[in-house]
Amino acid sequence: MTTTNILPPTTPLLPSARGPRPRRRRLGKSPVDDNPMRMIITTGADRWIIYGLLIVMGLVFAFPLYAMVAKSFQGFGINNYISLVTDPVGEVPIVLTYVNSFVIGLIHAAFVVAISTTAGYALSKLQFRGRELAFAGIILFLAVPGTALLVPVFHITNQLDLFNNYLGVALPEAALTIPFGVLLLRNFGRNVPDSLIEAAKLDGASHFSVFWHIFLPLARPAVVNLIVLCMIWSLQDFLWPSMLFTNPDVTTAAQAVSSFSNQLGRSPEDFGRYNASLVLLAVPAVLFVVFGLRFIVNGLTSGSTKD
Amino acid sequence: MSITMRTTKKHKRRSDWLVALIFLSPLLVIYAVYYLYSIVFLGQTSVQRIGISLLRPVQVGFDNFALLFTDPVFGRAILNNLMYAGISISVALTVGFFIAVTLSTGVRARKLFYLVFLLPALMPLSLVATIFGSMLQERFGVLNETLRAVGLGSLAQSWLTTPGLAFAAVALIFCYLIGLPIMYYTADLSALPTSSLEAALLDGAGTFRIMREIIYPMMKSTHITVVLALLLGSFRALEQVLFSTDGGPGSTTEIVGTYLYSYTNSGGKTIGFAAAASTIVLVIALVISLVQLYFTRSRKDEQ
Repeated sequence: MTTTNILPPTTPLLPSARGPRPRRRRLGKSPVDDNPMRMIITTGADRWIIYGLLIVMGLVFAFPLYAMVAKSFQGFGINNYISLVTDPVGEVPIVLTYVNSFVIGLIHAAFVVAISTTAGYALSKLQFRGRELAFAGIILFLAVPGTALLVPVFHITNQLDLFNNYLGVALPEAALTIPFGVLLLRNFGRNVPDSLIEAAKLDGASHFSVFWHIFLPLARPAVVNLIVLCMIWSLQDFLWPSMLFTNPDVTTAAQAVSSFSNQLGRSPEDFGRYNASLVLLAVPAVLFVVFGLRFIVNGLTSGSTKD
Repeated sequence: MSITMRTTKKHKRRSDWLVALIFLSPLLVIYAVYYLYSIVFLGQTSVQRIGISLLRPVQVGFDNFALLFTDPVFGRAILNNLMYAGISISVALTVGFFIAVTLSTGVRARKLFYLVFLLPALMPLSLVATIFGSMLQERFGVLNETLRAVGLGSLAQSWLTTPGLAFAAVALIFCYLIGLPIMYYTADLSALPTSSLEAALLDGAGTFRIMREIIYPMMKSTHITVVLALLLGSFRALEQVLFSTDGGPGSTTEIVGTYLYSYTNSGGKTIGFAAAASTIVLVIALVISLVQLYFTRSRKDEQ
């Protein structure tokens, strides 16, 4: 939502189901049958070149994180961490900033799921004139930069009296995520066979009960992906909290970075502690990514599916 | 509900516009408040001189736009946006593509590699940019310390305050965040038709030739997706610069995001000016979105 931009690729991320079934009887299964992409490495030398390049690039990518961890022990070693826990630097403990990000993420996700599923159903399973035009009009806002809406959203938040309120940040976040959510759920809906809907309608079910009893249960994987993405985008979002939150009690994790760098990042003797505070901020994010990676990848890459 | 049932029974070719309206109404409410009202408000405010309190506006006509178009920093910001987008696009189309293809060939420790390459794009960007800033810090940053430790102290630089180097440092942060393109490539690679790969193998083509001459051209639609996503992403960017160089030194690394952010936060009577700049940026983003809609449409027709 904030900076990650989402345009759908043409196909979902699925394990390749093409090619013949793996033969299990002799010599185990052949790797080529399992994954046709394996064929393209033709010689052993190529394999080593590829490993070499991947490892070098991996080290380059990991270096900034390594640098942060290494620096975090400078000066007083582990005491850098202990002092951060016993004597929090920002006005709120790091754990609380994560609780705040998490709560905002949940509200953000609730709005996005409620609105995207209903709109996705309408745009894929209901017949009405101008449906494609309505879809295009909604998707047009897929890439609106949050910074371009700063002035009006500040005003709207003021009018709704939502400063320092989780809702005040979750709503603009949701507004920016909804175009993506609609795209995801509408494309999902197009893959739900019409015959299922027709059969239920013949039994006398209304569209509302079809939506609730058939569409929503089927859409569960897409909804789970969407929830995880909303959580990660709320965790990443710096823009809205920094504009709309002034009360330290509601500070989010992304916001805490700036208060740490203001208070610790300037002086040499605090530099170790400063990096330790960054490590503590990174740990929950890393854990979240490690456990949610599958949902994140599935969600981002199944925005559009082949018909 | 009963209304829908009746219409359904009356004619086979039914139109569900009333139900559709009900299903779309939550979306319409949010869009009305956060997009429609925002755009009207931006239009109104962009012709005023006004502070963030929004009290006592002075109508100034198109003065804000005139100021904006004569401000070299705004032009610089847009140019920087395009350059950072261009640099990250070229890295994504080469390095990103290579990483995605090689990781799809079933190398060992695949999950670990994915994690290393995707993690930066999924962490709070303020944190990533701050980590870079700390690493490149002049006196006690790890990079300069390492250079001094191995006797290359003469190469140590003030990375974030020398114009050319600061620009390169921000470009590096943009390139560090190529996780998303890697995901797109990975997804589309899994559905690649294998027949042409087999044909190329029979012809005796080597690994890297297959990648370059067979797979690369086959992924044209993914390339377009990647280009547009990164282009639009650069207009959404803020933290990458705000937390590393803050647009400095001077305005060498200023981007549209930091430009809008600083005028909105400046505390003076700059809100009308910020609104005018926001209007222009919004128009740019919507135009690129239209281009994207056009491309995805024509792609669908081909299938």
